[in-house]
Amino acid sequence: MTATLEQFRIALEALRANWFRAMLTALGVVIGVASLVAVTAVSAGAQKEVGDSIRRLGANVVLVDGEFITIGTGQSATERTITPEDVAAIAKLPTVTAVAQHQDIESLTVSAGRNHTVTRLFGITTPYADIYNQAAGSGRLLSAADVDFGRTVMVLGTGPAAKLFPGQNPIGKTVRVGSHEFEVIGVQARKGKLSGESLDNRIFVPLPIVLRVLLGGTTTKSVGVRVHSEQDIETTMDAITELLRRQHNLPASYADDFSTEDQAQFVKEAQKASGTFRLLTFALGGIALLVGGIGIMNMMLVSVRERTREIGIRKSVGADPRAVQTQFLIEAIVLSTAGGIAGLLAGIVTTRLIGTFAHWQTLVAPRSLVLAFAVAVSVGLFFGFYPARRAARLDPIAALRYE
Amino acid sequence: MSVLELEDVTKSYRTGDVLVQALRGVSFDVTEGEFVAIMGESGSGKTTLLGILGCLDRPTTGFYRLVGEDMTHLSEAHRAKVRGLRIGFVFQAYNLLPRATAAKNVELPLIYAGLPARERRERVLEALAAVGLADRAGHRPNQLSGGQQQRVAIARALVSRPSVLLTDEPTGNLDSASAEEVLVLLEHVHAEGSTIVMVTHSQEVAQRASRILRVADGLLVADELLAVR
Repeated sequence: MTATLEQFRIALEALRANWFRAMLTALGVVIGVASLVAVTAVSAGAQKEVGDSIRRLGANVVLVDGEFITIGTGQSATERTITPEDVAAIAKLPTVTAVAQHQDIESLTVSAGRNHTVTRLFGITTPYADIYNQAAGSGRLLSAADVDFGRTVMVLGTGPAAKLFPGQNPIGKTVRVGSHEFEVIGVQARKGKLSGESLDNRIFVPLPIVLRVLLGGTTTKSVGVRVHSEQDIETTMDAITELLRRQHNLPASYADDFSTEDQAQFVKEAQKASGTFRLLTFALGGIALLVGGIGIMNMMLVSVRERTREIGIRKSVGADPRAVQTQFLIEAIVLSTAGGIAGLLAGIVTTRLIGTFAHWQTLVAPRSLVLAFAVAVSVGLFFGFYPARRAARLDPIAALRYE
Repeated sequence: MSVLELEDVTKSYRTGDVLVQALRGVSFDVTEGEFVAIMGESGSGKTTLLGILGCLDRPTTGFYRLVGEDMTHLSEAHRAKVRGLRIGFVFQAYNLLPRATAAKNVELPLIYAGLPARERRERVLEALAAVGLADRAGHRPNQLSGGQQQRVAIARALVSRPSVLLTDEPTGNLDSASAEEVLVLLEHVHAEGSTIVMVTHSQEVAQRASRILRVADGLLVADELLAVR
């Protein structure tokens, strides 16, 4: 114990005697660790953003959309090709855990008193909230009774809520859609943007009302399908395609009159693309650490050579090979550890700068700091080992004679 | 009682393509309390002999026992321990650590022997006092004269209370006044009961010992007991 403490003192003294050289040597480790920390933070931030996006959209959701049916001569009919029977059949598929039929009307002008706004109206049923992660910011969401009885009630997105009722509590107030009046029962909790479109410029009313009084008919354009897990998305899309072609009696030569999509697909693709970039930067950080390690090894080899006589003296007064090896190993580890600590700080600062200037979401996870630090210490251990062993194996007589 | 026993020790090593026979069968005993000078021309093998006696080197053949214990087949780690506890070295070039104070230099063997700090401090001060340098404990080697540096080296050699003190031309780098000081100190250490082996090429210095072993061409050629003065 005393010996190890003593060896720490010796290592620190040796480094202090050549502090400038030691600092330059540690710089490689500093840069390596800093870039690892920054890259990991940016990467974790991007990961979190993707996770947030998927959460906003609803996880593991397949969106089935009706398409315009093109008939021979180029005439096209309705895109509202999804029937209540289709929805019931989809709900019975083994991988499906919930379905929500919905119909939207875009660019609809709605008004309240003298205020009006252009928004997107959604006719929905109760599973919608669950599948698309809809929550009430104030008031309440649509209930089963609202939907079943076709009540003229409405949930506002935060956008229309602010436009129609500036500075007021909209709950209990009335919104007009054409000649129809809806009572506001709640405001949807803020969702933010997704690839440019605001998810908050929306209003929600029971689907039966939309079909009965605004559009007519029983079919809709959309149905959201939640599957059990991410692995089920592909197979379920195939199963739905097969099912709907049968339901719609489409001959083999006809194109689908609907489409299926994994609504988080583009998010995942963006993630993959940035993943490649991150891997590259991560590799660069690794290379910096490797170069830092080689720097440490180089400096330690020089140090061993310069102190050959000192090693001989220590051996002549009782230092065994292990004590000599430990002494030099501690020196290398002190160097890389100091570099590691400075690297952590530099990495955190860099991450902050990236967050501020590039407006990227970043996340400095304690685990990544511990990891980067551990890597730095290991670099010292690994690259210090060879020089330390060389010192340990010096012949004491030759070492004592070394000039 | 024999402190050192050499039995037909040979040592050969290779320098480039040449096989050098540094020692060609040397046998002698050193008894406790003796002050032995080993004399010889340079290249006679006396330094090789000192390396073996100091467990810095191993004989090619033959046996070497230190206080009855065979040193021939010990591992490097074990020999390091023996060097730290049983042997005190004093070299011609002092061999002090330049960045360490006198006290720190003297403390070294005790650190490697694993002694607790308080005991180390006491023994270091005691050893420095014994060589008359108690007031120089905080000085670095470059703040001391040659004679003082060599006395620090002697203090370092004695601090672990070794079985034998091995010195290699201890006055070789010193002016005559400092050399005399060091020799008087060695005589004093001897008088207190320590066993000393001193390699030298100077007849005058060798006369201060109680016995002279002469080495030539890797062989022991003379073993003279001197009159006790």
